[in-house]
Amino acid sequence: METDLLIIGGGPAGLSAAYEPARHGLKVTIVDESLRLGGQLNQQSQVLDLPSGFAKQTGMKLSQFLQDRLLNYDVDLLTKCTMIGTYKDGRIGVTDGNTTFSIRSQKTIITTGAAEDSISFPGWTLPGVMTIGAAQILLNREKVLPGKKAIVLGTNNLAFEITKQLNESGVEVIAIIEKESTVDVDADNIAYLKQANIPIYVNTSITRARGPGEVEKVLIDNNGTEVAFDVDLVCIAGGLFPILEPFQVLGCELIYLSELGGWLPKYDTNFETSIPNTYVAGNAAGITAMKAIMLTGDLVGISILDSLENYNSDYVKKRKDSLWTELAKAEQPEVWSARLSLIKEFELERKYVTSNR
Amino acid sequence: MDKSTIVCRCEEINVDEIETVIKMGATTFDDIKRLTRCGMGPCQAKVCMNLVNRIIHDNTDKPFSDLTPANMRMPLKLTRISALASSDQTITSVTSVFDESLQEVGETNREE
Repeated sequence: METDLLIIGGGPAGLSAAYEPARHGLKVTIVDESLRLGGQLNQQSQVLDLPSGFAKQTGMKLSQFLQDRLLNYDVDLLTKCTMIGTYKDGRIGVTDGNTTFSIRSQKTIITTGAAEDSISFPGWTLPGVMTIGAAQILLNREKVLPGKKAIVLGTNNLAFEITKQLNESGVEVIAIIEKESTVDVDADNIAYLKQANIPIYVNTSITRARGPGEVEKVLIDNNGTEVAFDVDLVCIAGGLFPILEPFQVLGCELIYLSELGGWLPKYDTNFETSIPNTYVAGNAAGITAMKAIMLTGDLVGISILDSLENYNSDYVKKRKDSLWTELAKAEQPEVWSARLSLIKEFELERKYVTSNR
Repeated sequence: MDKSTIVCRCEEINVDEIETVIKMGATTFDDIKRLTRCGMGPCQAKVCMNLVNRIIHDNTDKPFSDLTPANMRMPLKLTRISALASSDQTITSVTSVFDESLQEVGETNREE
């Protein structure tokens, strides 16, 4: 199979990246391992803050919109297809479960997104213990209640958002547990938890989850005092980290930046990795908010057009500038400055290598 | 933490087993993998890698930026042998997928 632009991962970043190149006439192929495109958007019933031109809307609604706007263009959507490897000549190996085939492309964008970090404690492998994202998938995508009485381990805005959804769906959230002494969460989330009567225990960790075959009881250590809760669901909110496998098998150089979620591929101002014609966007390029995930997708799409002789119009250049301006405003200061220093250092490194050849 | 806590759920490797091989001289995820089978089950280190790196960090004071991710091999996801075998005309056999894999990447890591 041949294509101009191959996109690995059809979530918010991949679908955003596809739009401008497709609209300008490139043949685009999107590979996604799920049955339907949209990635994590498909279970996000929360209202998202999005780039200019988009009204605030739920992830579920946005997923459909991003897919629909590609319908009129030459875009091949390969759902239930997984990238499993690469060939020496640069082709990407893909399987649909029954057969394996290769895709040759001029440019490849890898938008694999993020995975959830786990937190281990005695009993964490019991059924009933899952990541908070898994609980949201069960709730909103599979329409199954993940449990009746829950405890949430870890605090971040996404976890609070999902806690809210669990609570509103009839799951009784008994407590939120945080091992640090402070909680870094928006004021309106705190207000909601107060009103919903969900306590946050700081300086607290789980000592053990217990039960015959599944979770029935959780013991916590609250400032040295042991407290027991009867729960059948423990949601681990350990935060997100970029998914790296495709970059690793392609041989992309990696770097560790805690502000961006840990290990991630190095990239330049066009989001091109150390492997030529291989790009990255979205959470795989550093964990960030939905608005910035989409903007990095837009940016990589427009940067690819800019790099092609027949497409680098005035419109493309102007759009690129305005997207960078919007991204600077959209990101948390520490995420933005980590991203900039990553780009700057990589470009310096590459210049040095080239000049010493 | 309780030393019997499972870290790698696929291969059922606990904290104690990982700390033991660190005491024996293991310094990277891949060292621990080779000595204990940690990360060699169906999920291929997707769940345990960061947990293991945290244990190495806590036991050796090595910064996270020195704890490189586990080496990944093809196929990246669970794939039926029949799917690898029944490929399109551009790939002629199962071996082409494995033989053509970027072995240099694996070789380099192994020499460390």
